[in-house]
Amino acid sequence: MKQAALKNFDLTWVPISGLVIFVVCFAVYTYWTYKKSNKDFYEKAAFIPLENNHE
Amino acid sequence: MNKTRRLESFSYDDQIVRWFVIATVIWGAVAMLLGVTIAFQLADWRVNLGLPWTTFGRLRPLHTNAAVFAFCGNALFGGIYYSHQRLLKARLFSDVLSRIHFWGWQAIIVLAAVTLPLGISSGKEYAELEWPIDILIAVIWVVFAVNFFGTIIRRRERHIYVAIWFYISTVITVAVLHIVNSIALPVSLTKSYSVYSGVQDALVQWWYGHNAVAFFLTTPFLGLMYYFIPKAANRPVYSYRLSIIHFWSLVFIYIWAGPHHLLYTTLPEWAQTLGMVFSVALWMPSWGGMINGLMTLRGVWGKVRTEPTLRFMATALTFYGMSTFEGPLLSIKSVNAIAHFTDWIPGHVHSGTIGWNYMFIAGILYYLVSKLWNTEIYSKRLASIQFWTATIGLVLYIISMWVAGVTQSLMWSAMDEAGRLVYPNFIETVVRIVPMYWVRAVGGTLVFVSFLIMLYNLYKTAKKGSCDTVEVYEAYALDATSIEAGATKHRSLEGMPMIFAVLSLVAILVGSAIEIVPSLLSNNYVERMSVVKPYTGLELAGRDIYIREGCYLCHSQTIRPMTHEVLRYGKASEAAEFVYDHPFQWGSKRTGPDLARVGGKYSNMWHYRHFLKPQEVTAGSIMPRYTWLFSRGLDYTSLPKKMAVMQTLGVPYTTEEIDNSVASATAQANVIAQDLQANGGVPLEIQNKEVVALIAYIQRLGTDYGKAEVP
Repeated sequence: MKQAALKNFDLTWVPISGLVIFVVCFAVYTYWTYKKSNKDFYEKAAFIPLENNHE
Repeated sequence: MNKTRRLESFSYDDQIVRWFVIATVIWGAVAMLLGVTIAFQLADWRVNLGLPWTTFGRLRPLHTNAAVFAFCGNALFGGIYYSHQRLLKARLFSDVLSRIHFWGWQAIIVLAAVTLPLGISSGKEYAELEWPIDILIAVIWVVFAVNFFGTIIRRRERHIYVAIWFYISTVITVAVLHIVNSIALPVSLTKSYSVYSGVQDALVQWWYGHNAVAFFLTTPFLGLMYYFIPKAANRPVYSYRLSIIHFWSLVFIYIWAGPHHLLYTTLPEWAQTLGMVFSVALWMPSWGGMINGLMTLRGVWGKVRTEPTLRFMATALTFYGMSTFEGPLLSIKSVNAIAHFTDWIPGHVHSGTIGWNYMFIAGILYYLVSKLWNTEIYSKRLASIQFWTATIGLVLYIISMWVAGVTQSLMWSAMDEAGRLVYPNFIETVVRIVPMYWVRAVGGTLVFVSFLIMLYNLYKTAKKGSCDTVEVYEAYALDATSIEAGATKHRSLEGMPMIFAVLSLVAILVGSAIEIVPSLLSNNYVERMSVVKPYTGLELAGRDIYIREGCYLCHSQTIRPMTHEVLRYGKASEAAEFVYDHPFQWGSKRTGPDLARVGGKYSNMWHYRHFLKPQEVTAGSIMPRYTWLFSRGLDYTSLPKKMAVMQTLGVPYTTEEIDNSVASATAQANVIAQDLQANGGVPLEIQNKEVVALIAYIQRLGTDYGKAEVP
């Protein structure tokens, strides 16, 4: 009984905090990444490996 | 605008990349030869050769360390240094640091190659190296970090391309993982005890172990993918924006997934569930990256058939997709209940390390050697033969381990209508899968042969090429005009590597802190049981031998709360049983049976004979013979120091117990020796040999709580 209680020691705030933090972060960086105004910049950034011939 | 900008001339340090390329090929061959050797050892115990330094328990850590840190490590350093310079249009920060990094890393590998076969091991999977080497790793990693960030600071390209984001997360996270997991208190130059114990140590270890896979074998290679696939295909990455989502999701989620290695153990349920949920979530960014890589190849699939670089990289991505689907699947508790401790897990691991890492490294090597030695690949036909040999070998490996894993699991858990185990003798399940071990060894041999083919092909390529010329390039230095007017704040952030690094650190620390801090505080929750006592001096010495011989690589020491496990091994394990275990020895594989409650199950004489000739005690056993334990003298003199270190770590030894440790251990050894003499005519001199200490330890395992009537 005692050991069962130890295995499950009550920290429900931990996974809930993790979930909230992740969802918020995901929403923020997804919004920022797919913002229309950023589109051109990222399309240009994709060419960085190709834009010079430094081989 | 360009009138105000300063045009600068510079060259790249490609010599250091060449060195890392050569080291990759050499250590890769060594790692795979070791892998093939231990695969045959599992198929036939005689391949252990009867020598201490060639037994499975000592060579297996050498194989994993060589494959991960020597082969993949040198490859990622070479690939990073090559792409980092070109993406930033800057020479590496310091040639001296580059060379310290290179030779320092090779020195670490050589030290590992010497110490691990000698049995100098901390007993923590994938982190077996002892404390002086751990310190050296930390120092060399800092050298790498300074060189890496110094180059970013001196860059001539404002935007830090996404590949470098992945590199940054690697540099930061590996440092954190290595330092936290390696904290130990030294007993001597070659021996230390982890500061963590039991369930704490298990969580820290698998937080490290899983994320070593994540941040040493995955994120740097994904970064390399975002550079080398566009270069080889001569087209930009399919979606740069998807790569950003890929990056942040991966680094944030990966760090939480470690507890899936500890499902059904005494780890708190919430931590297990958290690890499982985040492991399943990890599937999304992983496949996002795979899709991004493969879609970059749209329009050039014809080249995938003919160009070795693209062929290996496309195949690597496919295996990456497969293993990152299999990983989340295995982390689901109901699936894990079947697969954990079986050969399915090594099968999964190798679909990642061979299918993803080896295949991708092969692609990078073909690209780099032709570029760095200014020539074409010597033979595309040989590369094609290599490809098919490796692929067939890998498929044989994976399928044989699937079959072996599922067979083991079904046999372990099979019960008849009366509720009895159908296969109560563990050896029945071992004998049944030995044919699969042969198939795996053949598959591994094919992979090794494929590597030798590549080695020859790369050697011939380099030999016909030349690396005498040093190209000089020009680019504008960064200044205030090199960022467009009206740029967003985040755009500026992308140009600030240190802040970016700090954000990456925060991303991984959030998950780490939430998982680990409560467990570090678990002394508040895991109450010590009065029936569970610390090991005696002799048992502690035996435990050190158990660690030295790598017994934990084939035997677990934790019983899951499942009917068939309780029937087979005894009462399910409890957290409080392991509070004095520095380090924990739960293991991750059951090539042999669990030993958590083996104490008292067999006689001293049985263990004596079993260590000497396992096959005479258990017909069909594949365990090596440990003959040297019968001739090596036991080091009693180190016991007071060992117990004193344990006392410092919180094990409640009294000063009197420490002072009398030699006499107590000698007395306990004498009791065992007398028993051996009475029951088998063994000379009493055996009390001074190592085998007696190991018997003492084994006979103690699980007995405190196992035999106690605890409510």
